[in-house]
Amino acid sequence: MAAGELEGGKPLNGLLNALAQETFHGHPGITEELLRSQLYPEVPPEEFRPFLAKMRGILKSIASADMDFNQLEAYLTAQTKKQGGITSDQAAVISKFWKSHKTKIRESLMNQSRWNSGLRGLSWRVDGKSQSRHSAQIHMPVAIIELELGKYGQESEFLCLEFDEVKVNQILKTLSEIEESITTLISQPN
Amino acid sequence: DCWALIRRRLFETRNTLVDFQWKLGMAVSSDTCRSLKYPYVAVMLKVADRSGQIKTKCFEMTIPQFQNFYRQFKEIAAVIETV
Repeated sequence: MAAGELEGGKPLNGLLNALAQETFHGHPGITEELLRSQLYPEVPPEEFRPFLAKMRGILKSIASADMDFNQLEAYLTAQTKKQGGITSDQAAVISKFWKSHKTKIRESLMNQSRWNSGLRGLSWRVDGKSQSRHSAQIHMPVAIIELELGKYGQESEFLCLEFDEVKVNQILKTLSEIEESITTLISQPN
Repeated sequence: DCWALIRRRLFETRNTLVDFQWKLGMAVSSDTCRSLKYPYVAVMLKVADRSGQIKTKCFEMTIPQFQNFYRQFKEIAAVIETV
């Protein structure tokens, strides 16, 4: 097999994109055969399969370690030196891919590891309760908050909450305690 | 979907908040990512519907999500004060 057929460039970038979609972003269903025929039509299936597995393994290792650019360079250099490793052209394509997709992949990994519901959205309005001539009710504004919650890969659930002004301020106090905790955590040395 | 939104707004149960518990956690590692390293805020709400029945709802927020949540609450407080 000519090494040139599996060289870097656009096909490898496309392959890495497809692998990322499948492995991290939860969009499986891109078959090996489809990838091969679209990106590497000249390469026979029995050679494409180990190549795909190798690229998948490399991408998973990089993502799992959340490599910074120094670690990435060291890792890819080591891969170019091993038996059955990658070429330096391929290393360059992988490096460029990770640099531009790192944030998004990391976000997907974070979402995948959260097994509770996440907060997908929040909308609110404030209603003023008007006084009726038959009731002694005083004008009392009310905040109506709708939380959109959802587990990874599942449909959203909506939770509607009503708060009066006193309650809003109580929550605000709690939220400021949380913020203080976060500040303390972030300012602590690792 | 516009109709779903209208249906939701018209028929949704209004709950009141009975309790708000929270914790600040740090996800360190997982089977898919050995180096996760991200802090998150986990919240447990106890809410009561109009009949008084109490339900528990749990959810998590990343730090940026929490900061947005906090900012929106400050806006609500500012508005509710002026109404």
